[in-house]
Amino acid sequence: MDLHILDHRLRVTSICKNGLVNFTHPLIKLIFLRNRARCKFFSLTETPENYTVVLDEEGFKELQPSEHLLVESSVWLPLNVVSNGNSSSSSQAVGVTKIAKSVIAPLAQQHVSVFMLSTYQTDFILVREKDLAVVINTLEEEFNIYREVGGEYSAVLSQHVHNGFQKNGKEAPQLTVHPLLIPQNQFCVMSLDPDTLPAIATTLIDVLFYSNSPKEGALPSQDLDCIKFFSFSLIDGYVSLVMDTEAQRQFPADLLFTSSSRELWRMVRIGGQPLGFDECGIVAQISQPLADNNISAYYISTFSFDHALVSKPLAADVTGTGTQLYTTEHGVQNFRRGYVLILTNRGHCSPLDKG
Amino acid sequence: MSGSKPDILWSPHHADRYVICDSELGLYRIGPVGSGETKAGALPLSVETAATLLAINSDTPYMKCVAWYPKHEPECLLAVGQANGRVVLTSLGQSHNSKCKELMGKEFVPKHARQCNTLAWNPVDSNWLAAGLDKHRADFSVLIWDISSKFSPEASVAAEKIRLSSGDTDSGLVVTKPLYELGQNDACLSLCWLPRDQKLLLAGMHRNLAIFDLRNTSQKTFVNTKAIQGVTVDPHFPDRVASFFEGQVAIWDLRKFEKPVLTLTEQPKPLTKVAWCPTRMGLLATLTRDSNIIRLYDMQHTPTPIGDETEPTIIERSVQPSNSLIGSFAWHPTSQNRMVVVSAANRVMTDFTVFERISLAWSSTTSLMWACGRHLYECAEGVGGEGTVEKDIATKMRQRAQSRYGHDTVQVWKNHLLAGGDDPQLKSLWYTLVPFPMQVSLMKQYTEDVEQKQQGSKQALVYSGIKNIVKSSSGTTENRRCWSGSDRQTDVPRFHSEERSLALRLCGWINRGPDINVEPFLRSLEGEGEWERAAAVALFNLDIRRAIQILNKGASAERGDLNLNVVAMALSGYTDEKSSLWREMCSSLRLQLKNPYLCVMFAFLTSEPGTYDGVLYESSVAVTDRVAFACMFLNDAQLPRYMEKLTSEMKEVGNLEGILLTGLTKDGVDLMESYVDRTGDVQTASFCMLKGSPGEVVKDPRVQCWIENYRNLLDAWRFWHKRAEFDIHRSKLDPSSKPLAQVFVSCNFCGKSISYSCSAMPHQGRGFSQYGVSGSPTKSKVTSCPGCRKPLPRCALCLMNMGTPVSNCPGTGKSDEKVDLTRENKLAQFNNWFTWCHNCRHGGHAGHILSWFRDHTECPVSACTCKCMQLDTTGNLVFLSRSQSD
Repeated sequence: MDLHILDHRLRVTSICKNGLVNFTHPLIKLIFLRNRARCKFFSLTETPENYTVVLDEEGFKELQPSEHLLVESSVWLPLNVVSNGNSSSSSQAVGVTKIAKSVIAPLAQQHVSVFMLSTYQTDFILVREKDLAVVINTLEEEFNIYREVGGEYSAVLSQHVHNGFQKNGKEAPQLTVHPLLIPQNQFCVMSLDPDTLPAIATTLIDVLFYSNSPKEGALPSQDLDCIKFFSFSLIDGYVSLVMDTEAQRQFPADLLFTSSSRELWRMVRIGGQPLGFDECGIVAQISQPLADNNISAYYISTFSFDHALVSKPLAADVTGTGTQLYTTEHGVQNFRRGYVLILTNRGHCSPLDKG
Repeated sequence: MSGSKPDILWSPHHADRYVICDSELGLYRIGPVGSGETKAGALPLSVETAATLLAINSDTPYMKCVAWYPKHEPECLLAVGQANGRVVLTSLGQSHNSKCKELMGKEFVPKHARQCNTLAWNPVDSNWLAAGLDKHRADFSVLIWDISSKFSPEASVAAEKIRLSSGDTDSGLVVTKPLYELGQNDACLSLCWLPRDQKLLLAGMHRNLAIFDLRNTSQKTFVNTKAIQGVTVDPHFPDRVASFFEGQVAIWDLRKFEKPVLTLTEQPKPLTKVAWCPTRMGLLATLTRDSNIIRLYDMQHTPTPIGDETEPTIIERSVQPSNSLIGSFAWHPTSQNRMVVVSAANRVMTDFTVFERISLAWSSTTSLMWACGRHLYECAEGVGGEGTVEKDIATKMRQRAQSRYGHDTVQVWKNHLLAGGDDPQLKSLWYTLVPFPMQVSLMKQYTEDVEQKQQGSKQALVYSGIKNIVKSSSGTTENRRCWSGSDRQTDVPRFHSEERSLALRLCGWINRGPDINVEPFLRSLEGEGEWERAAAVALFNLDIRRAIQILNKGASAERGDLNLNVVAMALSGYTDEKSSLWREMCSSLRLQLKNPYLCVMFAFLTSEPGTYDGVLYESSVAVTDRVAFACMFLNDAQLPRYMEKLTSEMKEVGNLEGILLTGLTKDGVDLMESYVDRTGDVQTASFCMLKGSPGEVVKDPRVQCWIENYRNLLDAWRFWHKRAEFDIHRSKLDPSSKPLAQVFVSCNFCGKSISYSCSAMPHQGRGFSQYGVSGSPTKSKVTSCPGCRKPLPRCALCLMNMGTPVSNCPGTGKSDEKVDLTRENKLAQFNNWFTWCHNCRHGGHAGHILSWFRDHTECPVSACTCKCMQLDTTGNLVFLSRSQSD
C-alpha cells in the first residue's frame, strides 16, 4: 500500500450562517470559475451550525478576513491511501473502513489529530503539517510513503524526519463521551462531470445559499429529525457532492453520477458540543467498530462536528443491533426518533435521560 | 468530443469512410470531387476530394469517447463512452443485419457512475472492449467488457436491474458485470492494447502508466509519470509508445519502461491529440489546443531508440492544413501521409496530405536525384537540349578532362581547341600563355622575380602581364605619320618604345623584328574571315586604303556582307576637316552600327587626338586589340592609367582576356578568382595557374584550393588516370607538390628499407634506381641489403637474388616483340621491380611473374597452390587490357 502526501497546503475555516452574505462572491468564484481561481482543493460543507470551508492557500487568498470567518490556525496536509493495484476485492467495505486499522488507529495511538474528508472519488486524511514527522514515522512500516512535489511523487525516507520526530508529548487524554445523533434523512454521495457544472449552477447556488429561506420558522424538533447537511468539493478537477434526497430532487437526474445501485446513506453525527481540533481518537472510535463489522462508511469532518455516513441497509447495525455491538463498552440511548450513542472508554454504559 | 471538441475516426476497413463525433455521430464518405456519386450536398475537402454525409446518429448524448469495432463484420459498429461511464454500442448507416442488431443499443454500466475517458477494442479478441473511467473510492477504473456476454443472470444483479429499469427503457440490453476489473481506487485516462500479446493492456492511470496482464490480473508493471494521456503504440514498432501530458510528449520503449526514451520539446499549449502515422515509419503527429498547425516529428532515423545514451535525431516540422483552428485530425489508414482534419468549430473538414520531405543528391556527373515518399526521381542533363542551353560547367570540365585539356604543354594554344574551341575567353587565355621563343627572350627581363633572373634561364619564366611591362616603359618616342597611300599629314601622334613593341607582339599584332608590320596579322585575320577586325587593325595602323580593300574583299567573299561595301564607301570619304558634314554624321550614326569594329573605326576617325574613349572602352572589342591600340596611341601618362582601369575592370568581371594584362601574378589570381566565382571552372584555373611562379602564385591558398578541388573532381568522376596525369603535370611545374614515397621495400632480416638506408635523398622515393632497377645496366647492382648485408630474396622463377636486372629471355612472347621501343624500355624498367603475392608471399621480378601468370593460374613456387593472380583484381585487368591491345 502506498500513502501519498499530496501537494496541497490546506486551511480549515468556518463561515457562520449570517456571515455568508460576505463570502458569496469568492465562493461562487471558487466553485464555478476554477480556471480563474487557481484553487486545486476546495470543499464546502453546510451544516446547521455553519459552513465549513477547506481550501488550499491559493483559494484561501480569496477569502477576506472578517468577524464571520473563523480560521483554524494550522496548515493541514491531505494524505491519500493508494491501494497500488492490488485488486483484492474480497473486502466489500470501502472508504474509512478500509483505512481504519492501517491509518486511523495508529495515528490515534500517537495522538495525532486527524480531519477526515471523504469524497465520491477517495478519502482524504488531513493532518497538521507539524505532525507530519510523527505521521511518517508511525505509518512508514505499513506504507510506502510518497510526497508529491510539483506533480511528481518522490519516496519519503524516515531518516529525513527522524531528527524532527518527537512524540506529541501529550498523555492520552481521557476519551470524552460524545453523543451521537442519527437524523432521519437519507443521503446520497454523487459526482458530476466538471464540464456540466454550469448546467446545475443555479440549482447549486440555490441549495447552497438559499436553503434556509423556506425553512425559516421551522420547529427545532424538525431540525433534529432531518438535519441540513450539504457538501460540495472540487478537488484536483473532481467534483463530489453529498446531499440528502430532498436536495437531490432539485437537481436534474441525468447529470449526477452515482453508483448503479443508487445506494442511500444514513448519517451519524458525532458530538454534542463543538469538538475542536485537538482531540484525537474520535475517528478511530467510530471507524474501529465499523471496520470490525465490515461496514462501509464515509466520514466527513466539519468545523464543529464529525459526520459518518453508513450505508442504509446497515444503519440498523449502528442503531438497532449496534446496541449489542457496544453493549459491553458503550451505552445506547434512544433520543427522540434519532439515536444517541454514548461512547465511553470506561467499559460501562452511561445512559442519558430522555430529552 | 463533448460538443465543442470534435474527433475523427477512420473506418478500419473502408478507406473512404470516416466518422466525425461531436455532439452526434456523422458518417461521411470521401470521394473525388465532381464524381457521379457526389451529389449537390457534397462538402469539398480539398481541390480534388469531397465528402458526402451518409448517416447521422444522435442517439447517444454526453459522448466522451468513441471507438470503432476493428473487425470487418459487423461493419460500422461503434462503442460510445458516455459522461456517466456507460458504454453504449451503436451503429451508423447500417442495413441492420442480424448480428449487428443483437449488439445494437447494448449498454455496459459500471457500478459507480463517473466519466468514461477512453475506449479500446481488443484488436485480436474483438469481443473485448476496454473502458477507462474516472476515479471512484471503491470502484475499478479499467473495466473490460465482453460484448457478447449475456445480460446478468445472477439474482443479485437482477434485483439491481429492477431498480435500474426506471432509467432504462430496455433493461434487457444492460450488462453490469465486466469480464475484468482493474485499477481500483485509481483513474484511467487512456488505454491501448499492446500488439505484443492480446492480453496486455497499457493504461494511462492517474500519475502512472501501467501495463495490465490479463493472464495474471493481480500484477501490473507500472512507471510513475505525469505523461499518461493519449497512450498510443507505434504501428510499425510494437515496443514504441507515445503518451503526453499538457504540452509534452513522451516516447517510451516498453522493453526499457523505467523512463521515457525521449521527450519531445514542450509546446506552450496543452496537447489534445497524438497519433502515429500508420503509413510511414516513425512519423508522429501532434495537435495542441487552439492551434491551426499540426506538428510532425520524424523519428525515421532512429534505428534503435534504446541502447546508446545519445538522443536520436528527430526532425520536427509543422504543417498547416487550413487556416481555421483544428479540432482534431485522423491519419488515413492506407493512403500515404494523408489525413482528414476537422476544424474546432462548424465541422469544417479538410483532406490533407503531408508532403514528404525531399532528400536530394547530385551525382558527380551532373545528374540530380531526389526521393520523395516512396518515389525516386532522376533529372539528367538533357541530351536533346544540346545547343539550346549552355552545358553545365561540370559537364564541360568532364568532357575537357577526357580530351586531355590543359595537358598540351608543347603547343599551349591548342588547349583551347581541346576545350572545344568555342570559348573566346579560353582562346585568348591560351594564346596569351603561349611561350613564344621570342616572348621568352624578351620577357626574361620583365619577369618580376629578380632572383629568378639571376638564377638564369633554368627556371621557368613567368609571364607577368602587359600591365607590368608597360609600367617600366621608358624612352618613348613620338611621331606623326602620314596616312599611308596619301600624303596628307595626320595630327595623330603615335608612340614607340621597346616595351610597347613587345606589348604589340604579345597582342599578336606584329611579329618579331624591329619593324611594325601588321600585314601578316591582317592576312591571318582575312583568312579567318574577320573582315571588320582586319579593317579596323589596318585603319589603326593608319592605312585607310588597306582597310577599304579588306572591306571590299569581305563584301565579295562567300557569304560576305554586302554592307561592308557601304562601310568602305563611308570610310573613303574621310576628311580631317573638323566641322565637316562627314564627321558630324559619322560620329552620330556610328553608334547604330552593329559590329563593334566598324563602330570603333569611325570612333577613331572622328575623335580628337589623345581622346580615344570610344575605342578604348568599347567592351565588345577584344582586349588584345584595345590594348594594342592603347600602346600605339596613348602617351606615357595615359597608358598606365588605362591599363590599371582595364585591369580592374577585367578583374571585376573575371574576364580571362585580362590575363594578357595581369599575367600570372597576384593580380592574375585575383582575376582568376572572380572568373572561378562566375563560372566554377576550377579546371582552367588550375592548369593556368600552375604556369605561374611557384613561389608566389602557386602557393596562393586560392590556387591550392582550385587545384585540390579539381583533383577531387577528377576522383569523383573516377578519372583516376586523368588525376594521376594531372599530378604528374603538376609536379613538373611545381616540384614542391610531388608526394613523398609511400611504399618501401624493407629487408626481411633487419627490417630496414633497402632503398632508404643508402639513399642520400631519402624522401625522393627513387630508391630503386640505385639497385639496377632503373634499366641502366651500367649502374652497380645491389643484391644484398645495404643495412645488414644479407642477400635479398630470390626471384621464384629465375632464382636470382632480387636487385639483379632481369634478362629479357624468359617468357618473351609475341606480344613483347611487337611493342615499340619506348614501351619496351618502360616495361624493362618495370620488369625489374619486386612483386609478390600478398597471400602466399611468393614473388620475384615483376616481368617474370607477369609472364608466368600469362600461362598459369597457380603460384610458380612448387607445392604452393595459391592462385595468386586471381586474387588480384587489377592483375586481371592488366591481362584484359593487354589482350585488347594485342
